[in-house]
Amino acid sequence: MGREVSESCMDGLVTEMVSLYSTRFYSNKPEIAARRIEAIGYQVGHQLSERYTVERPRFTDHLEAIKFICKDFWTELFKKPIDNLKTNHRGTFVLQDNKFPWLSRMSGDGQSVENGMQDPESKAAQAMNMYLYFPCGIIRGALSTLGIPCAVSADISSHPACEYARS
Amino acid sequence: MATTACFIIVSRNDIPIYETDAGSATKREDASQMHQFILHAALDIVQDLAWTTSAMYLKAIDRFNDMVVSVYVTAGHTRFMLLHDSRNDDGIKSFFQEVHELYIKILLNPLYLPGSRITSSHFDTKVRALARKYL
Repeated sequence: MGREVSESCMDGLVTEMVSLYSTRFYSNKPEIAARRIEAIGYQVGHQLSERYTVERPRFTDHLEAIKFICKDFWTELFKKPIDNLKTNHRGTFVLQDNKFPWLSRMSGDGQSVENGMQDPESKAAQAMNMYLYFPCGIIRGALSTLGIPCAVSADISSHPACEYARS
Repeated sequence: MATTACFIIVSRNDIPIYETDAGSATKREDASQMHQFILHAALDIVQDLAWTTSAMYLKAIDRFNDMVVSVYVTAGHTRFMLLHDSRNDDGIKSFFQEVHELYIKILLNPLYLPGSRITSSHFDTKVRALARKYL
């Protein structure tokens, strides 16, 4: 269990999977495609979290598990930890990654998003959001396996940074 | 040296996904039902104990006649339970760790639905070999 895969292969695989589900399988139903991709992510997250917690003792509380996701789990997946973790101490956590590897190679189309002027129908934004369902599924699967049922949503505010909110 | 050893894996939803009788002792007729009964009865104790400690290997948690139930809990709350009469703590811990590795390999199979029964005969053979080696 120590072999490696090339990163560009992973990038290519994820890109192709999303485009396959969006265009070939469920071409007119993006919600269903999104749910299927998220379900794949859920199973992957389940498997990975079991695998990466072999060596270490079990978690005693939610915060420990979230910290594990931010540091060890994300480092194993993307070679970098999550950049910023915020919480409202009432069950919602926001994980912010300033340079998400699977999105970093995609070109944004130069629209300014911060001032809320973004056209919600913008295809580029929609397309990018499809790519976020898989990591959302991974996080949800990992947390559910560690005993924390949750919902995960993702948001791109400034390319290529993105945030995951978990409640 | 004849040993009794009944081993089951219980998933996080309290469904047994694997069971085997790996001991080398000659079995009486009702022995296998008794072994399962004892292990299932010990599940309540495991449930309480699992939340009190962050260790994975909970040693002997229950006894019946001269047999002892030992339990190992993974991060995903999957429980490996062993009913045995030997006293070899280190051997049992190594046994659990090796079975954990095997279990992860099964889990990584994309065609395996997590929480369903483990039907691979390869897994079965390996678990029995490990039982002979460590118990």
